[in-house]
Amino acid sequence: MDAVVCQGVSKRFILRPDRPRSFQELLIGLLHPRRSAPARRLEFWALRDVSFAVPAGTTFGIVGENGSGKSTLLRIIARVLKPTSGHVRVRGRVAALLELGAGFHPELTGRENIYLYGSLLGLGRREINRHLESIVGFAELADFIDTPVKHYSSGMLVRLGFAVAVHLSPDILITDEILAVGDEAFQHKCLEKIYEFARAGGTIILVSHDLNLVRQLCDRALWLDRGRVRALGDPVAVTRAYLDWANEKAFLRSEGSGAARHRRWGSFEVEVTRVELLDGAGNPTWFFATGDPLTIRIHYRAHRRIERPVFGVGLHQGESVHITGPNTKFAGLEIDFVEGEGAVEYRVRELNLTRGVYLVSVAVSDHSLTHLYDYHDRLYRFEVRPRPGREAFGPVYLPAEWRHLNGAAGPTRPRPGYTPAPPPSPGPPPG
Amino acid sequence: MLSAIPGPGRLAELYRYRELIYNLVARDLKVRYKNSVVGVFWSLLNPLVMSAIFTFVFTVLMPSGLPHYALFVLIGLLAWNWTVGAVVGGAQSIVAHGHLVKKVYFPVEVLPISTVLSNLVNFLLALIPLFGLMLLSGIVPGPQLVLLPLAVLTQLVFLLGLALALSALNVPFRDTAAVLDVLMLGWFFLTPVFYRVEDLAGGWSRLMYIVNPLASIIANYRVLLYYNSWPDPLFMLRTLTQALVVLAAGYLVFSLLRDRLPEEV
Repeated sequence: MDAVVCQGVSKRFILRPDRPRSFQELLIGLLHPRRSAPARRLEFWALRDVSFAVPAGTTFGIVGENGSGKSTLLRIIARVLKPTSGHVRVRGRVAALLELGAGFHPELTGRENIYLYGSLLGLGRREINRHLESIVGFAELADFIDTPVKHYSSGMLVRLGFAVAVHLSPDILITDEILAVGDEAFQHKCLEKIYEFARAGGTIILVSHDLNLVRQLCDRALWLDRGRVRALGDPVAVTRAYLDWANEKAFLRSEGSGAARHRRWGSFEVEVTRVELLDGAGNPTWFFATGDPLTIRIHYRAHRRIERPVFGVGLHQGESVHITGPNTKFAGLEIDFVEGEGAVEYRVRELNLTRGVYLVSVAVSDHSLTHLYDYHDRLYRFEVRPRPGREAFGPVYLPAEWRHLNGAAGPTRPRPGYTPAPPPSPGPPPG
Repeated sequence: MLSAIPGPGRLAELYRYRELIYNLVARDLKVRYKNSVVGVFWSLLNPLVMSAIFTFVFTVLMPSGLPHYALFVLIGLLAWNWTVGAVVGGAQSIVAHGHLVKKVYFPVEVLPISTVLSNLVNFLLALIPLFGLMLLSGIVPGPQLVLLPLAVLTQLVFLLGLALALSALNVPFRDTAAVLDVLMLGWFFLTPVFYRVEDLAGGWSRLMYIVNPLASIIANYRVLLYYNSWPDPLFMLRTLTQALVVLAAGYLVFSLLRDRLPEEV
């Protein structure tokens, strides 16, 4: 049985920039008729002919760029918006985790807000009473539940919001990037709770930019591109197709005159024409696990003979953390000259990165590293998921071992004043 | 257009969300009174002070000749304060909860409805000092007091209609509240709060009862609480009918705009 069925759903927003927005403008319009051009009417299709079904008890992921219509689709499933055409059938009660804590009133206590939020989801007092204890327990707010929420920290608010929405359990849970909030420990707890909800037979529809999460959690996935379905089905295939496309697009944008042009520069005597990330079997992918082999293959075209070029890559986390920046010169690989087309590979035997999205830069420069032929600044991205039971904090995993130095058993004692090395923390990017 | 008329399904859904209305009213009151008796006292102070000022003006400065003027004007002021709270607060109610309307599905009607109801609670609380003033004025309420709930219900129906229409209108026309500021001042002077309809010149008194339902509503309160007598049943019925027409028209305006609210709020 399907919990949600969308058939040919389209949503059109009509923007009338000339429509009076106030009585004042309405009045002026009446006093000066026909002074302006015929009213403009801009149409914008946020969704176009979207069809899919979510079987009850399954988890469904939606991916896509910002502005691709994901949120509009969620609002239609949640019945907040009506589709312009097409049909939506929803079986069961829907609760939206659209914005955690959006309904909270600062002057009310946590307990009062739980009742207010619950009734906003259409629940009666008795139903809310049944769940009150588990909500308070989950949110770890037992001591503060009768304190006005204006005194809560933002973390406490997020915990309460998640706890309320997930415990006043509806049949269908809709989440929009919920796990991007709160500290890591609580995120983990939320994820556990969502698994539990799924195991108990709940239906989940989730929107996330975290493609690993979509792969881990979802039974099926949908990729929306400018309001249309680009791919639907197996989450691994859908997210791979999406990431392929997103990387391709980022590269194309860098060649044209798009907004990302400032991400690429150089004198272009040697051009990087394509960058591939390969797994251990030599297949292109954008997904890796900690410890996997990784190969970055840089395809180039030299428009004339260039002596002693240096190829380099950079790995970054986000915009600010530069993790590493190896190149052929540091590695002692002297390339006498390049001419025409070719490729250079950077092979990592064991990828010692933990969970996250990493950005890749590639560059070709002259031997002195001062003149750049082509530089792609963080144009490519890949995701790493941790292996179960392995380190998951911080971006890197250092090959190391632990020892327990006990006074009786250990042959050596720590020297007085010995302090263990702090956990790896990436420093500021050089330069 | 026809589909906009609220059917029984719509009303049944509204009933299912009664808990939300209750919680919103409770929230409004808790925030206003901050859970304290002192808070209630402050909210009663306004009508009492206003009543004292009007009494000074119309018994000392320019005597109106009306006995127990303080009681007379307090009745008008309480009905007026409820109206202002419901109309101005109601007009803002949907826009003020835009973050919810945009994201969560619920019958949006509950917002203006709960605003009117929380102002009703204030009105009922203010009846306590009003009864005190009645006794001080030597007026002991008689059996006609059983009709007071009907008079209150009439005003409730009237205000629900206004709040529903204005709350929805304020979404496409964001200066509704600013326009209301001006209109409310005019409406105050055109409503028999501090004067009697009977004292109006010529045929104005008749016109007043026809075009200003609040005039009839206040007249009903005054018959029951000031003149302490039985009202004309026909007049009461006509006032209630008038209020029901306003409610029907207000709900229709609301229903016509309803689907646009989550998109435009």
